[in-house]
Amino acid sequence: MNIVVCIKQVPESPKLKMDRDRMTVIREGADSVINPLDCVALVAGVELRNQLGGEITVLSMGPPQTAGALREALAYGADRAILLSDPVFAGADTLATSHVLAAAISRLDVFPDLVLCGTHTIDSDTAHVGPQVAEELDLPQVCAVNEIFPEEDGLVVKRVEDGVLETLRVRLPALLTVSKELCAPGSLSLGGLSRAFSFGEVTCWDHRDLGLEPGEVGFEGSATWVVKLSSPPPRSKGEIVQGTSAVLCETLIRKLESLGILDEESAE
Amino acid sequence: MRRVQSSDACGRVWVFGDYRNYFKNRVTLQLIARAKDLAGKLDTGVTVLLLGERVHQWAMEYVAHGADTVVVVDLPALKDYRAETYSGIMSQLVELYRPEIILGGATRFGRELFPRLAKRLDTGLSSDCVDLEIDPSDRGLVQITPAFGGELLAEIVCPNRRPQMATVHPGTFKELPHDASAVGCILYPELEIIPDERVEKIRSRPERDRETRLEDAPLVIVGGRGMGSKDQFETLFELADLLGAEVGATLPAIQAGWAAPDRLIGQTGRIVKPKLLISIGTSGALQYTAGIRGAETIIAINRDPKASIFRMADLGIVGDGRTIVGLLLEELRKRF
Repeated sequence: MNIVVCIKQVPESPKLKMDRDRMTVIREGADSVINPLDCVALVAGVELRNQLGGEITVLSMGPPQTAGALREALAYGADRAILLSDPVFAGADTLATSHVLAAAISRLDVFPDLVLCGTHTIDSDTAHVGPQVAEELDLPQVCAVNEIFPEEDGLVVKRVEDGVLETLRVRLPALLTVSKELCAPGSLSLGGLSRAFSFGEVTCWDHRDLGLEPGEVGFEGSATWVVKLSSPPPRSKGEIVQGTSAVLCETLIRKLESLGILDEESAE
Repeated sequence: MRRVQSSDACGRVWVFGDYRNYFKNRVTLQLIARAKDLAGKLDTGVTVLLLGERVHQWAMEYVAHGADTVVVVDLPALKDYRAETYSGIMSQLVELYRPEIILGGATRFGRELFPRLAKRLDTGLSSDCVDLEIDPSDRGLVQITPAFGGELLAEIVCPNRRPQMATVHPGTFKELPHDASAVGCILYPELEIIPDERVEKIRSRPERDRETRLEDAPLVIVGGRGMGSKDQFETLFELADLLGAEVGATLPAIQAGWAAPDRLIGQTGRIVKPKLLISIGTSGALQYTAGIRGAETIIAINRDPKASIFRMADLGIVGDGRTIVGLLLEELRKRF
């Protein structure tokens, strides 16, 4: 089974620097990790590949430093890594991002049987890119999958959809997004690490390699613009109480009573 | 039955009608209420799309809650919610009636359908909006959504493409009261439907998982690193039983193994909107507070008077959560 895993490098800390002109995040120079759910997708992909054979190609769109995340993906066991990097890709919304990823997947020598993504990223949390890549490649999609069982000509997957546990059969090729229940990313073996750094070659494709025009990618190719960023209205400043534990417990009980959580103490 | 092919028959602000679990999931009704405000500013009406099998009954409900028009596509092939088939039908309806705006609930299905549909229509989408407005200068939809872990609110616009699409978290807007005398138009458009059978259901069963319980709970108690040990954390479960609450945990408490990972509250875990949230031994990291901003009332207990959790608490108690929970349990055991 040939598998593509799409990953994103995300800032380790939620505190980010902003490009105030474009209202986008400055990713250069921030401490970065592979988005946790993309790691889960990667580990799931490696397990399927080990079981069924085939190859795993990891794709990521981002600035040149994203090569680090792709090398890490090679250490997890991916066979090939492609960095989609070009100044014209910067400032992309999910529509433009999925366009670049889909273009890269359709340019691979062999079209994959399966595309895996994390359900969402911790930095922007839209959960758009998986379904949008599926749509552009005309693949069926199942989102937030938490179990995958290979079958003869497809996959059986399980997921919880709005309070219903579903078991689904998916014809291949298909795209799945995986949720955190699927499996925990293991720690890297030393063998994997040395493999990543001695043999780990990251191929880089720009918009010309993908046959895309600058106007259809990045900021220019995006449908949505962020026009304003502001701090959320602060919650009204509350009351702060100090004192002995007994007094504090008493205050808490009075508050719970006033909120109707506890009935007011009647004389016993 | 009426066949209306004119785009003028249909209000230009659309809501995806999700009738599953109608009595608890009110997000469609909440969206109709907000759509009505938006439509008023655009001099148009609200249209609800109702797709499924034997779903006519919901059309009247949507009219009673404020829809001007309900477009019904009723077919056995639409019994199960499937993003591929549904986005195919909705894109045909968009071509037919040319809406300005399409809104949907940020349910699991909404978050699966809307990105796919936005891609098919080659238009913009914003997710999990907390507010929606019309910009009077260009009559565009301003979509307000949390960014960067809830630290900031972003105003997003989609200036050059139509329709403008957004999903909204359930509970964000208030539904209009049921008006049995309301009058609306119900359309049954004729469409060519090709069901996508590449994803096939083998079985399904209701799963009352913790996610749903935590997210629906009116009272949530969250424990953090300050609980100190697994034994101390356990006292929160006893407290929760006595108060009828659900227990959540912050990342450090989960990493310490004091609570199961599915109880994680925060940006990467569950987003809760209880009437009351009691936050005990939590410092107030952004990752965590992004998940509790929607709580009506927050009580925080922490030993450190400078803890940032106090900046968002309605009542801040400076003290050792373990001792106070212990005293509270003693008192409650006496009462119950």
